[in-house]
Amino acid sequence: MADPRLFRLRVRFVEQGRLALLSHLEVARALERAVRRAGLPFAVSQGFSPHMRIAFGAALPVGVGSTCELFDVFLTDYVAPAKALAALQEASVDDLRPYECSYVDHSALAASVACPLSAYEAHLSETPERFAFPEVITVVRKKKEKELVVREFLQGEPTMEPLEDGTARLAFRLLAKPSGSLRPDVFLNAALDEMKRTEAFPSDARLLSITRIAQE
Amino acid sequence: MAMEDLWPRIEPLLLRVEKPTRYIDHEFLAGGEAPVRSEGDLAFCMIYPDTYELGQANQAVRILVNAVNATLGLYAERAFLPAVDMIAAMREEGIPLFSIESCAPLASFDAVGITLPHELAATNVLETLDLAGIPLRSSVRAQDDPFVLGGGPCALNPEPYAPFFDAIMVGEGEEMLPEVLGVIAAGRAEGLSREEILGKLAEVGGVYVPSLYRWRSEEEAQRSGSWAEPMSERAPEVVEKRIYEGFAESSAWEPCIVPFAEAVHDRLNVEILRGCARGCRFCQAGTMYRPVRERSADAIVEAVERGLAETGYDEVSLTSLSSTDHSQIAPILSRLNAKFANTGVRVSVPSQRLDSFGMEMAQLVAGQKKGGLTFAPEAGTQRLRDVINKNVTEEDLFAAIDAAFAAGWRRCKLYFMIGLPTETDDDIKGIASLAQRAYDRAKAAVPPDQRGSIRMSVSAALFVPKAQTPFQWDGQIPTEEAQRRANLLKHSVKYKAVDVSYHDPKSSFVEAVMSRGGREAAELVEEAWKRGARFDAWTELFDEDAWRGAAEALCIVPEDIAQRAFDPGFVLPWSHISVGVSQKWLARERRLAQEGTLTPDCTFAQCSACGVCSSLGVDNRLQEVRHG
Repeated sequence: MADPRLFRLRVRFVEQGRLALLSHLEVARALERAVRRAGLPFAVSQGFSPHMRIAFGAALPVGVGSTCELFDVFLTDYVAPAKALAALQEASVDDLRPYECSYVDHSALAASVACPLSAYEAHLSETPERFAFPEVITVVRKKKEKELVVREFLQGEPTMEPLEDGTARLAFRLLAKPSGSLRPDVFLNAALDEMKRTEAFPSDARLLSITRIAQE
Repeated sequence: MAMEDLWPRIEPLLLRVEKPTRYIDHEFLAGGEAPVRSEGDLAFCMIYPDTYELGQANQAVRILVNAVNATLGLYAERAFLPAVDMIAAMREEGIPLFSIESCAPLASFDAVGITLPHELAATNVLETLDLAGIPLRSSVRAQDDPFVLGGGPCALNPEPYAPFFDAIMVGEGEEMLPEVLGVIAAGRAEGLSREEILGKLAEVGGVYVPSLYRWRSEEEAQRSGSWAEPMSERAPEVVEKRIYEGFAESSAWEPCIVPFAEAVHDRLNVEILRGCARGCRFCQAGTMYRPVRERSADAIVEAVERGLAETGYDEVSLTSLSSTDHSQIAPILSRLNAKFANTGVRVSVPSQRLDSFGMEMAQLVAGQKKGGLTFAPEAGTQRLRDVINKNVTEEDLFAAIDAAFAAGWRRCKLYFMIGLPTETDDDIKGIASLAQRAYDRAKAAVPPDQRGSIRMSVSAALFVPKAQTPFQWDGQIPTEEAQRRANLLKHSVKYKAVDVSYHDPKSSFVEAVMSRGGREAAELVEEAWKRGARFDAWTELFDEDAWRGAAEALCIVPEDIAQRAFDPGFVLPWSHISVGVSQKWLARERRLAQEGTLTPDCTFAQCSACGVCSSLGVDNRLQEVRHG
């Protein structure tokens, strides 16, 4: 798998604005096309259906933006990171834009599992009296209901900061596990429902945006 | 004049609907600068009357938006019909249909253009106009309403759409559309009335302004030789299609949007030639795009290289009605294969003809990835293939199968039509026999251990007689009979490895009504739409009851439109529209069909005097001599 002659370029990029609405598959396709447009010497897999050697980070739910996404692309020739970055930026749209390139070792974890811990920031249309969330959230996966214990995913306590315009900023961290993860939008919507139920939050209050701000 | 930006109202809906990427714009634009509207520019919106993933892939939309934006004083955006869930959300919130780039209400544009890609898009035209808040009928539009323009394949019989459009363009729009918009811009600048501007539009070559024609009764039409009576001196008796004469020399590469949402043909499309003179007697595209015009191998190879580099696509399709007919197709494919070896790029050629798909072509098209291969024998017996002038033999099919399966393909789809003129049960059984023997050939061409992966499928659709073809006088067979023949086909196929699918005859029936109807069919469309018909081309959304109910309410017998056969002397409802081929030639072709006599392709053999070159003052433009 790890061909030592190849160079593994890790690219970090933002996904913001309207493009937060892209699905993971759409992001993957768009990035692959950006790599082609940038003219980078990408490696091509051997076999019956040759394709670009590229690997994407953990999926971001539709509607969630990010300042810190990543993908790895394998190159057949060394390109200085600054030069690769400039070429990628030239080939990208503003809201899906690489901001950092660096080489990583072949032994490093795959992009999809390299950063299990994510920090998110959410923007709420109103400031709740207190932030609350249910202990267990039921999600449907592959047509089966599954109960997720929030504390198994949530790292530390969420913090809330009221803003001058009456809205609020919320920060929290979620850990992805090999067995599955709790999506930030699912967590927040469950929290909003819980707060509305206990009247800690007005019933017309809305979630304005969610952004992943760090992955480690 | 600044247009309203609806984005703040649209954005909150997008997390509730499927595939929000359809509505967000901000795609990568390859090879060009985003157009900017200057003060005083006429604003035009090009609309595909179906969802983004279908419309964004449409070449006409790309070509025409580019052509308008390249013209001084004109500015163009795109719009698509939202999917059913988004339409419902928009109606609930009172949000009108919007353009993609500016999120501006369509009703605030000076003109909108709706392409008419196939017969089942008619109710979507009304859904589009209604959602946009534009009055459905030309006759009730006010001075400041947008001009509603139409064009595309269905313009060859425009009557079922006539009352909904201010002007319909017949033929190729590269030059015609900017001319039409220029007339509207000048008229508006001079402060002319809507009626005066419509009169001026009727004088532009290729433009049909339905409101300037009175619709005659059948008896009157047969006596006078046309159903449409011009009510103004500006309106020509016959509207002749336009051709883009600069096609062969024009660049094969042009600015192109790379979508985020997966479009139906999500790849670089390079149009390598236009027109096909094979002369299949059922084929409307065959008369519509005559004469044949090829771009040069150099221009094509350069466009593919540049296009792939600028878009980042990993697939290019060399498009046309019959790409393997290009006189330089072999060198084009060899050059591209050499250039893109080991890059993961796939070069594909749609609609391969059976008789030009030999060993060489199989290897050239093979490239590196092999998907399924599609051939269209169209009919199951040589007799019927001769009737339709599909000039291919069983041996052509078998040779193509041998070549393809030896070159590594494992899947093949064969297209057929059911209900072609003169068809008998033997022809239906012939389809089954042909497909089974094709499977045997495929099996023989493949190593024994790989035979299990061979897939041969038969796809059959009910024949729809089309305007401006030799079969325009022929009726469609009744739906029940079509169903019987489809069942006969299914039962005649004995091999388990050959699967048979057929298109729902009920929607093909509506296609035939729309294909052959006169102006009364427009009433039917409007009534069917009022009863909930839309997205008729989406099998799961096709609503037969809405169409049946509409016909009953209007006392229209749709079978009389779809199924009635006429003598060639009968004046048809589209006789005021000409694609350049003479009625005499069409009638002769129909007679030759009944005799089973073939007519050769004039790009390979002698001219058959269809009349296009003389009436339009053009010629076939081939890069080299074609060898059949």
